[in-house]
Amino acid sequence: MLRHLPTGMVDVAVVGAGQTKYGNHALGLKGMWAEAASKAFASIDGDFSPSTIDEAFIGSIAFGGSQLGNTAALLTEHSGMEGIAVRRVENACASSGFALRDAWMAIKSGQADVVVAGGIEKMNDLTPERKRYWLGVSGDTEWERLAGLTFPGTYALMARRYFHEFDSNHDDLVNVSVKNHLHGSMNPLAHIQKEVSFEKAAGGFMVADPLTLYDCCPTSDGASCVVLAADHVANQLTDTPVWIRGSGAASDHLALHDRPSITQLKATQIASSKAYSMAGLEAKNIDMAEVHDCFTIAEVLATEDLGFAARGEGGKFARQQKGQLNHGNTTINPSGGLKSKGHPLGATGTGQVVEVFKQLRGEVESARQVRDAETALTHNVGGSGATCAVHVFGRDR
Amino acid sequence: MSATVWMGYLIDHRDNFTVVQSPFVLDGVRVFGADSDATTLAVAGLLHRLQHGEVESISVPEGMDGLSLSMATGVPLHSSEADTSPAWDVLMSDEATVVLARHESDVELTSMDVEVQADPDFHHAMQQAWNQELAATHVSQGAYVSRAQYEEAGSSRLSLTGQVADKGLVWPPRFNHMVDGSPADKRDLQRTGTVQTWTTLSAAGAPSEFSLRAPLLGGISTVLLQLDDGPKGVFLTVDDEDALFEMEAPMELVFRRLYAQEGFIRYGLKARTVYD
Repeated sequence: MLRHLPTGMVDVAVVGAGQTKYGNHALGLKGMWAEAASKAFASIDGDFSPSTIDEAFIGSIAFGGSQLGNTAALLTEHSGMEGIAVRRVENACASSGFALRDAWMAIKSGQADVVVAGGIEKMNDLTPERKRYWLGVSGDTEWERLAGLTFPGTYALMARRYFHEFDSNHDDLVNVSVKNHLHGSMNPLAHIQKEVSFEKAAGGFMVADPLTLYDCCPTSDGASCVVLAADHVANQLTDTPVWIRGSGAASDHLALHDRPSITQLKATQIASSKAYSMAGLEAKNIDMAEVHDCFTIAEVLATEDLGFAARGEGGKFARQQKGQLNHGNTTINPSGGLKSKGHPLGATGTGQVVEVFKQLRGEVESARQVRDAETALTHNVGGSGATCAVHVFGRDR
Repeated sequence: MSATVWMGYLIDHRDNFTVVQSPFVLDGVRVFGADSDATTLAVAGLLHRLQHGEVESISVPEGMDGLSLSMATGVPLHSSEADTSPAWDVLMSDEATVVLARHESDVELTSMDVEVQADPDFHHAMQQAWNQELAATHVSQGAYVSRAQYEEAGSSRLSLTGQVADKGLVWPPRFNHMVDGSPADKRDLQRTGTVQTWTTLSAAGAPSEFSLRAPLLGGISTVLLQLDDGPKGVFLTVDDEDALFEMEAPMELVFRRLYAQEGFIRYGLKARTVYD
């Protein structure tokens, strides 16, 4: 019988974090990764050399297929990490959320002291037709793609059903879009740095009825990188580590139609339950959360599945702007989220950690600093909810 | 004569043969609908025929996808190397008409009284798009479902074959669903269900395997159905009829073309509204 060995003897901290700006990037894979890694290394307060890294986990879908094989080895070669044990982690849009979890586990296992987790995606160098193909490769091809579904289509099915089951309508999604654009307008690393009015977001071009362009995240280029360290090393590298207090992950049916309910993500519920339990915290204790709002309906569902709103009240939560910066108990997506900050698929998970790292250390632009932020959560979803990784962070262990 | 409308086609059912015809007419000539061909007509005819008795085996003419027809209906294809004759033959006519006939029986082609005028511009544009899509050299960036993958789950995808598992009726079947070490019982599901949710993707947002035809159709629509037998599934709606998009609206599943790639048509079940 398998049994879990006690892992409480090693605590894991984020000691460095960096990312490129998200958007239409002039740099390719190598250049973007080099930039993100160098920013992460530079953010480490103490003396640090990449040669001290024991392992590296890099999330990517390898969008476009230009470097499907050995992606990670190619990247580390361009960031001073030659010779380090590295691998690509692939779980669709949750790739680097799982890369973070793998990195955390490597340290927890006692086999590594300093580990890099990161992610990268180059999406905007493809023709529109090629891009539409790659945007659909993470659903259940044999059933969902043959039924004409892309991810906007899949989330549109969820949104319409949500409106039917609960007291909600498209206006609630518009509120999510307006809020995240507001937050993103203050983030110099965001893909879309401008506010959008309620009227404009409500009247956007229909992509997949009922979802408009303003309900959908952009396709972004970008890379993100975080450096994790075991407690005995972390204290040598910084006086202000950000501790990973809980890690949870789960999976669910790949195809939407196989799930008992399409208005909740079971993988999110399980992953967050595990992460909260490990951290000894509840949703009400979380000051800020970076949640996976690939579509606005995804944020509404996430606020419920993560426990920030009761079941069926995610729409109301959005309507009342409870997630807006410093308005409610928990600020949701102060970075702008995927909707505004952008969504370079494989980079998104660790990009969320970059935001958390800066917020908990009080290092973001003052206009979008979450007041007195002590705890934070990241929520990274693959596909329409087939995989999910949730992490809980704190300034204290 | 007065035709029976069945799965979106016209049926003339006789003791020894069944005529299946497209309802669409252009310049006085029967033409196929936007996602129909001789194979889809033959499948509909065969499913109608099976309501009235067994079809032991069937032979199909060249150019018809016999394997898909067999997977969609469960009727064995007659082998050209067999010593015996097929029980039934599929015969094709030039005018969007297919006949299923008991082997070597006489057939009387009748004129059916239902005619839906096809829009000439739409029809020609759609034909052109299909021809382009069907070219062996057309390797789109669309979702790739290989022939092997298409065939592996063919019976569950094309004829809605489910599986009885420990937690009830399951569709699509799972490879790990076994009962006492043996494969679970197979069960054919009814081809009817009710709408649980739906979406219409704009032409610009449609998957790239539909990129030639989605602009002509004004986008593509997908429904999530709760099948009357329990499981749920997602299905495109048929291309040549308007669907009633309402929660709990009844729909039936019919056999149609989905898309083509590398000269190989992927068929599947599409949803059409059941009107009283």
